[in-house]
Amino acid sequence: MRGSDRDAFSKRHPLVNFVFFIGAIGCAAVIQHPVYLLAGAIGAGSYHLLLNGRKGWRMILGMIPMFLFLTAVNPLFNIYGATVLFHVFGRPYTMEALMYGAAIAAVFMVMLLWFGCYNVVLTSDKFTSLFGDLIPALSLLLVMVLRMIPNFLRKAKQLMGARRSIGKGAGEESTTKEKLSDGMTVLSALTDWALEGSVITGDSMRARGYGVAKRTSFQIYRMTCMDWTLLALISLLLAVVIGFAAGGSTAASFTPDLFFAPIAGWDALGLIAYCLFLLIPTALHVKEAIQWHISRSKI
Amino acid sequence: MAHFEIKDLTFSYPAAKGKRSLEDVCLSIKKGEYIVLCGKSGSGKTTLLRHLKSVLAPHGKRGGEILFNGVPLEKVSQRDQSAKIGYVMQDPDDQIVTDKVWHELAFGLESLGCDQKTMRARVAEMACYFGIGDWFHRDVANLSGGQKQLLNLASIMAMQPEVLILDEPTSQLDPIAASDFLNTVRKINLELGTTVIITEHRLEDIFPYADRAIVMDGGKVIADDTPRRIGKLLYEQGSDMFSAMPTPVRVFYGAGGEGECPLTVREGRNWLSRVFPEAPGVSSFPAEDLAEEVADPALLLKELWFRYEKDSPDILRGVSAEVATGSLYAIVGGNGAGKSTTLKAICGICKPYRGKVKVFGKPVEKYKSGELFHGCLAMLPQDPKSLFVKKTVREDLEEMTRDKALIEQIAATCQITELLDSHPYDLSGGEQQRAALAKVLLTKPRLLLLDEPTKGIDSFFKETFAAILGQLKEQGITIVMVSHDVEFCARYADRVSMFFDGQILTTDTPRRFFGSNSFYTTAANRMSRHVFQNAVTAGDVVELYKRNREG
Repeated sequence: MRGSDRDAFSKRHPLVNFVFFIGAIGCAAVIQHPVYLLAGAIGAGSYHLLLNGRKGWRMILGMIPMFLFLTAVNPLFNIYGATVLFHVFGRPYTMEALMYGAAIAAVFMVMLLWFGCYNVVLTSDKFTSLFGDLIPALSLLLVMVLRMIPNFLRKAKQLMGARRSIGKGAGEESTTKEKLSDGMTVLSALTDWALEGSVITGDSMRARGYGVAKRTSFQIYRMTCMDWTLLALISLLLAVVIGFAAGGSTAASFTPDLFFAPIAGWDALGLIAYCLFLLIPTALHVKEAIQWHISRSKI
Repeated sequence: MAHFEIKDLTFSYPAAKGKRSLEDVCLSIKKGEYIVLCGKSGSGKTTLLRHLKSVLAPHGKRGGEILFNGVPLEKVSQRDQSAKIGYVMQDPDDQIVTDKVWHELAFGLESLGCDQKTMRARVAEMACYFGIGDWFHRDVANLSGGQKQLLNLASIMAMQPEVLILDEPTSQLDPIAASDFLNTVRKINLELGTTVIITEHRLEDIFPYADRAIVMDGGKVIADDTPRRIGKLLYEQGSDMFSAMPTPVRVFYGAGGEGECPLTVREGRNWLSRVFPEAPGVSSFPAEDLAEEVADPALLLKELWFRYEKDSPDILRGVSAEVATGSLYAIVGGNGAGKSTTLKAICGICKPYRGKVKVFGKPVEKYKSGELFHGCLAMLPQDPKSLFVKKTVREDLEEMTRDKALIEQIAATCQITELLDSHPYDLSGGEQQRAALAKVLLTKPRLLLLDEPTKGIDSFFKETFAAILGQLKEQGITIVMVSHDVEFCARYADRVSMFFDGQILTTDTPRRFFGSNSFYTTAANRMSRHVFQNAVTAGDVVELYKRNREG
């Protein structure tokens, strides 16, 4: 929620956000070329920090041990590779496998970062509004389910609080069996409660004409000129990256021998396109910040 | 032409074995009228209202006819009914379907298949009219109860209905949010000419403005007249419903006033000024002793400080209180001031980071968890539903104890013996409250905490509830209650405390407490304070009135 008020890219139409994240996450998942990975990490990391501020650092720093761990563990299972560093339990621990581990770990981290950004930017209402026009009924269902889950949790908390204040419910000293049976009681009460609530919700829907006509969907987001331009730019850059990837300029293999496609001549264009693509959200933010600064200094 | 014409409507639920929920109801409602429907819980108000919209009409045996704009209601298309007859229900939360404010506003229009342009215009219009602009993009979950109910109203008004039916819309709201809501309804009626049919417990806020009041009892319409004459009718009939009338009406008839009955505090003041042009001989009740030191408090709070999260502001900022054993102690104050949090801190659901809670002289953390909640302390939560976990009330009570005799005895105290085999959710608000109270009492508490016990209960059930509390007090149980209901506190509490800004500011007897306030006080006090000094309940005013007139 907070992010979507804060940064320029979040304010764009959900379709633009959606296509961007599909592209970014898709590329991150498929391409293992170290240079591309580095570009991905920088792109994802910078946007992540932009969205989350100081909290973002904590997450990124927290990822480093995980990265190291995943890297170090891979050679224990993957014994292929030409350069043996040493032996563990009689199995070779190779440099190539270590590199491969690093690449896999990096893919994993970059995807995590992108998903983190996705969560902040593409809130549930934006996601559902994407499909609102295509399938209004499904989109409504999704909205209702999304609303139900936090409601359910809130009610569970209320119920358990109420039970505790009459000395019922599992405390710290309860046995597992007591906790289990109390949990079942709460769950069944919650189900009853939810059913009761859904009867009212159903009434409220029918009272407001649910099902009397073909549903339309209120679109709160509108595609502006800027959104179309961005969408075109994103599509173009993605097409270039995919084209070069298909042509083999992002190829990388690790075992048994390290091989990375050289980035030289025309192939550099693929990398440039990828970098430009990844920097779109950050660039938008910077651009907006500068514009603000200028327009404010004019006042 | 009448907007709604109800002719000899009779109805019985399938399970009621022939007992009629509505009997020969005949009503005619004109366009643009503002109608208040009152009656005890279970008098058939909701059943009647639901018949006014086909999709909500309950299943059962039905006779008679309902005409909408001269056409039988079942002949009016679903589409027209959806758009033209708006229906707001009681529960603010469950009525909301979607997760965003803007989406909820558009929901009805989406259902009717409106195009984008119309929807944009109508949604914008509604957001402005209802002042929703500021929270238009918010998550529904982050709204207050009052905002939620206003949203429900707005999303119905977006469909531009001709009639607005409201079924106890403010029963779950605090007094300030409730009167905001009711003012908005009145504004809609005045400015748009929308016909309004409303059922309400809080008659003080709407009675003066209604064109007509209809009183129901046992499925029948027992009175149908202007609000001014209804009071007299009910008083003469000796009806239970008289207790639900606004304070000025009760005082007027209780004192045997003559002439035109006052409906508002202002009219009440004028009436008293006319009766007592000079200061009356007996203008106050004898002064009570100052609240002395409580010798052996059942509950002692000392400088409690609490916040929910490390970085969030303090909710409790040094709460101190002493509650005498066997008394009814009420804490009043605004919304979100921390009253409920105080109760939670007493039970140990919230742990204050500073300060002491002593229950019967012993710090609360010294009690073992089993000990504290058995035979010592128990809390009745704000929503009684959160205590029900079984299929019948009896099973719910049996969850607490195996002692059948005790269950019978407590059920009798709480007057729920007949309800024992019903599903807890099938009970009315007041009945649920008493069933929940019974469950709480089975822990045999000596200190009972009540969180907003009169919320959503009609005046008749409030009296029953107060009587039960009286009995508990006689048994030596100490009661601490948190409430918005100043009238209830003024009438039944022994001590009242004002909670503000995270602390208890003043504590006094209700008479001294409300007698010295000029805004935060009962209607009876506001109406009589220029003549009598410390009359705080309708009964007080009537008594002083009579003493002066007779003596």
